[in-house]
Amino acid sequence: MENRPLEYDYSVSKLFIYTSLGIGFVGMLVGVIIAWEMAFPAINTIFGDGAIAEYTNFSRLRVLHTDSVIYGFVLSGVWATWYYVGQRVLKVSMAESKTLMYVGYAHFWIYLFAAVVLVISLLMGITQSKEYAEFEWPLDLGITTVWLLWGASIAGLIGLRREKTLYISIWYYIATFLAVAMLHLLNNLAIPTYYASNGIGAWYHSVSMYAGTNDALVQWWFGHNAVAFVLTTPIIAMIYYFLPKESGQAIYSYKLSLLSFWGLMFIYLWAGGHHILFSTVPDWVQTLGSVFSVILILPSWGSAINMLLTMKGEWQQVASNPIIKFMVMGSTFYMFSTLEGPIQAIKSVNAIAHFTDWIIGHVHDGALGWVVFMIMGAVYHMIPRLYGREIYSKKIMATQFWIQTLGIVLYFTSMWIAGITQGMMWRAHDEFGNLAYSFIDTVTVLHPYFVIRAVGGTLYLIGFAMFIYNVVMTARNGRRVEASELHNTTPMAD
Amino acid sequence: MFHWLEKNPFFFALAVFATIAFAGLVEIIPNFAQSSRPLIGTTPYSTLELAGRHVYIKNSCNACHSQLIRPFKSETDRYGDYSLSGEYAYDRPFLWGSKRTGPDLMRVGNYRTTDWHENHMWDPEKVVPGTIMPAYRWMFVNNTDVDTAYAEMITVEKFFGVPYNKPVPMKDGSTKTIKMADTLHQARKDALAEARIIVKDMKHQDVIDAVEVGRIPEIVALIAYMNSLK
Amino acid sequence: MNKIYLWGFIVTASMLGFTYVSVLGSKGGFNGDIVNILTIAGAAALVIITVFVVIKYVRQMQTDTADGELVNESWDGIGEYLNPVPMGWAIIYLMTMVWAMWYFTMGYPVQSYSQIGEYNEDVDVHNKKFEAKYASITGDRLVEMGESVFLAECKICHGLTADGIDGTASNLNVRLEANVVKNAIVNGSNNNLLGMEMPMPNREFLFNAAGSAITDAEIDTVSAYVANGFTGKGSDVYLSACASCHKENGMGTDYGPNIAKYTPQLVVNVLNHGKKGVIGTMPAFNRLNAKQKEAAGAYVTSLSE
Ligand code: HEC
Ligand code: HEC
Ligand code: HEC
Ligand code: HEM
Ligand code: HEM
Ligand SMILES: [Ca+2]
Ligand SMILES: [Ca+2]
Ligand SMILES: [Cu+2]
Repeated sequence: MENRPLEYDYSVSKLFIYTSLGIGFVGMLVGVIIAWEMAFPAINTIFGDGAIAEYTNFSRLRVLHTDSVIYGFVLSGVWATWYYVGQRVLKVSMAESKTLMYVGYAHFWIYLFAAVVLVISLLMGITQSKEYAEFEWPLDLGITTVWLLWGASIAGLIGLRREKTLYISIWYYIATFLAVAMLHLLNNLAIPTYYASNGIGAWYHSVSMYAGTNDALVQWWFGHNAVAFVLTTPIIAMIYYFLPKESGQAIYSYKLSLLSFWGLMFIYLWAGGHHILFSTVPDWVQTLGSVFSVILILPSWGSAINMLLTMKGEWQQVASNPIIKFMVMGSTFYMFSTLEGPIQAIKSVNAIAHFTDWIIGHVHDGALGWVVFMIMGAVYHMIPRLYGREIYSKKIMATQFWIQTLGIVLYFTSMWIAGITQGMMWRAHDEFGNLAYSFIDTVTVLHPYFVIRAVGGTLYLIGFAMFIYNVVMTARNGRRVEASELHNTTPMAD
Repeated sequence: MFHWLEKNPFFFALAVFATIAFAGLVEIIPNFAQSSRPLIGTTPYSTLELAGRHVYIKNSCNACHSQLIRPFKSETDRYGDYSLSGEYAYDRPFLWGSKRTGPDLMRVGNYRTTDWHENHMWDPEKVVPGTIMPAYRWMFVNNTDVDTAYAEMITVEKFFGVPYNKPVPMKDGSTKTIKMADTLHQARKDALAEARIIVKDMKHQDVIDAVEVGRIPEIVALIAYMNSLK
Repeated sequence: MNKIYLWGFIVTASMLGFTYVSVLGSKGGFNGDIVNILTIAGAAALVIITVFVVIKYVRQMQTDTADGELVNESWDGIGEYLNPVPMGWAIIYLMTMVWAMWYFTMGYPVQSYSQIGEYNEDVDVHNKKFEAKYASITGDRLVEMGESVFLAECKICHGLTADGIDGTASNLNVRLEANVVKNAIVNGSNNNLLGMEMPMPNREFLFNAAGSAITDAEIDTVSAYVANGFTGKGSDVYLSACASCHKENGMGTDYGPNIAKYTPQLVVNVLNHGKKGVIGTMPAFNRLNAKQKEAAGAYVTSLSE
């Protein structure tokens, strides 16, 4: 048994990879469209101002963008890595259990079905309006099912494992599973009105269990941690596997991993208050949110530092291997956004930053620089191993890396300048003590920044399209390589 | 200790769960009773207003507009009194938003009017040159879903004791009663009656004609909701 | 000095420089507002700290070597060193924890901060500062102040040039347009234009020289007459039907507003009570203070002079 290498079964992983690429492209395309719409509003009615405008205008598309990139692109990326990493670090193959295979397939297909329904329902304007939890109750139930299936897969693989000690990545996958389950269930509690009124109105409509300030409190406890446990912890799970694996280096410090993990678990959950500073929730809740956000820098940076130190003495790898470049740059942007977030969470800074584009900048240096870079790095590492082929083109990777980095820089610099400018203009009084600007003055002044952002986003999307092309060509045309060549550094053709 | 946990997945998961569940309990629970009480003068939404709120949600106006006035001089100058918790007692879901691409709308009913909204929703660029708000012309055509609004009224009255058909105290010491119909048929009639009042100040002939024959275009409900924001 | 530090400086300096130029060059500016200053400081700290901390680790990638004792396990070939945690990190971590505990048990309760309290103080300071100033604002300065109110509050409906945006609000460059006059005659007017409830009767109670109710043709004539600044045909109708309340020259009396030109008081009355007419509805503006209303009045009056 021990001598023969395990035959891992990657079929579910492959399905998730392609889903991730597909939805990722569409989701970011929609992002690019709404970015251009903010720069040139005439695009809202590009297909006329009649019936179709309802589906092409900014406000319908914006939710589609956020939910499809987060729950379509990122989650399927996360699951693609789970069905790859999980087997390998637990030393157990999915193929060893028929049940696990069924669970994996059910997980994928039900998820895909839910994703399609989700897109349609959002386009139709069926939404509960709570950010990142927009779906109505039938979809919430669907999501719960998908989530439980993933849980079953985690429990199953862990149950069968040969490696008794759980690797760091597994800690983070487990945390992701538990936290999102808790958040999703509590935030979405709602009463379906159709049943409560004995059959009146739309069958899918529901009304939140919480009202007003309470609803806000629960929502942002959810919202902040949805960010934490969808855009952070599973991505950390990835980097803890793919960076050491690709570079062949051992993790710099177990203790640092440990302190960062438990610190993150404990501190993250308190910080949600920073989304509702100066609102009607009590001062002490807001203060908790601010203070814990500042502490949060440390466990966040802990993981990033651990990764950077893992590359100690390995500069030539960083310089020559684009996959490692993606991951090192990802860690850097992770540090940037986890310092930016806490700074924005300081009450006096939030007084300006909140409600402005600076928040949008923060979101995207985290999302584009950290989340997407890591997922692309992970896919680039996995694809050759799924197909026994060499990466189709290293040149594309390198070009894409710089195009996308430029895109991110344009995105966040324009947005933070826009945000601070607008925030200051809102606050300004003139020599007579009157408001210095009407609202519209603070909108028109942003036009150049909206254009720069849209250009940055377009560049990023172009880079992503190059990535998809490279992946598909690798799977189809890449030169076949021996298993022995796939141990650490991924083979790539120039 | 940690190494032991790492070998025992069940207890590991338990420990993680305990760690993450803790904060929520401390932060959320104590606030619940206190902030759910309505402020004097805050009334539940009428049938048409609630239907308009659904139109607002359906089109994600909250993607660009907040409904939360923070206690800063610059905000109270621009939008009016800062928000108080009790004013949101009937808001399910809350609509504070998190981005102000457009201005706050918490009290827009105080300083914008029916005809202004009508012009603005039809062609924002004409009313406010340089705006990036899209036009919402389909709202002048699509019908309002009054039934679902009525279903929601029944639900919130039944489950959360929202005081429909009961006198609600107002700031000047008087009371006000927001009506909830006994039957769906009556609810539709009530909504239409509300719509007739709004349409009096409107100029769009198709909308006027629609209400004349008993239809309520979404724009009318939306304006009823906008006007109720005070 | 290593090249990478140079790069660090360039990146930091260009980002901060760019931000400085764009933000402060724009219309917001510091204004001595502590919140603005803290925000810029935060943004600067963000760039500087991230860039130089990352450079520190890049230097380690370039020069240091990895070693240490490994844990027993190896996961899919991945090992873990048993290195200690970086000192700087651990110390700052501990310090933030201690700070947080201090803050909750001492700092926060002792300060007894309240955001509403802070707001009240800000408003007080603001009001004190301007109350003294307001008294001395008169004449042209008042018109200037009114323009500032107009640009912040009124141009959304009346347009940048106060032309009423194609008839969706009053054109404030002229006192009255014919359709408004006509509406007042036909339907009467009841908008507290005199600052109190004092309605104008409708056509049935407005009489021409013959002593009978004013006719359609006469209404059109007199509307044009008023809208044209009391020139052209119609003075006869005007004198018989209107002059008793609005005076021969339209300058108004105690029981009829000035319909020849705007007066600051008329505008203030509109701002206090709003106005619902044939063009649409103008909301009341309770959130403006008395001086702001007076200034808006002066500005609007100046427009048609
Ligand atoms: C793309 C962003 C965007 C969307 C989506 C949007 N708005 Fe706006 N809205 C704006 C901007 C910018 C302004 C300020 C300029 C103006 O008045 O047009 C504005 C102004 C307004 C105002 C005037 C408020 C005031 O104080 O002047 C109202 C009312 C309004 N919007 C309602 C809505 C409603 C209702 C919806 C959804 C059906 C909506 N908006 C969707 C951007 C948006
Ligand atoms: C009995 C007194 C009386 C007579 C006669 C009278 N008015 Fe008036 N008029 C008023 C009063 C009072 C108001 C202000 C009503 C209000 O507060 O809305 C007014 C308002 C108006 C306005 C509205 C001004 C604005 O800014 O909208 C116009 C126009 C006007 N009158 C024109 C006329 C004309 C033309 C005639 C003759 C055909 C006339 N009035 C006859 C008393 C009178
Ligand atoms: C929401 C839109 C809106 C805003 C904001 C607004 N107005 Fe108006 N205003 C109107 C409309 C509509 C009318 C015309 C009412 C009518 O006669 O039908 C009007 C009429 C007036 C009139 C009366 C003109 C007359 O002939 O009697 C004055 C004066 C005026 N506005 C001044 C202002 C000033 C000053 C401000 C800002 C502080 C302001 N308005 C803000 C919509 C607005
Ligand atoms: C090509 C790349 C992208 C572009 C051009 C883009 C563009 C945009 C735009 C224009 C908005 C609306 C901003 C506003 O309302 O002012 C937005 C919002 C958002 N995007 Fe993206 N986006 C991109 C990629 C992504 C990715 C990959 C993610 C996540 C993984 C993401 C997550 C979000 C989130 C969470 C929001 C909502 C932010 C908030 O409400 O604060 N975006 N994006
Ligand atoms: C230390 C860690 C972090 C802290 C303390 C933090 C803090 C904040 C703050 C203060 C806001 C703005 C709230 C507001 O005023 O509206 C915010 C928004 C946001 N952050 Fe972070 N952030 C952190 C890390 C991240 C990371 C790594 C991501 C990943 C992409 C991220 C994604 C987001 C998103 C999507 C929003 C927008 C939420 C909305 O729709 O309003 N954050 N964060
Ligand atoms: Ca939901
Ligand atoms: Ca948001
Ligand atoms: Cu957050």
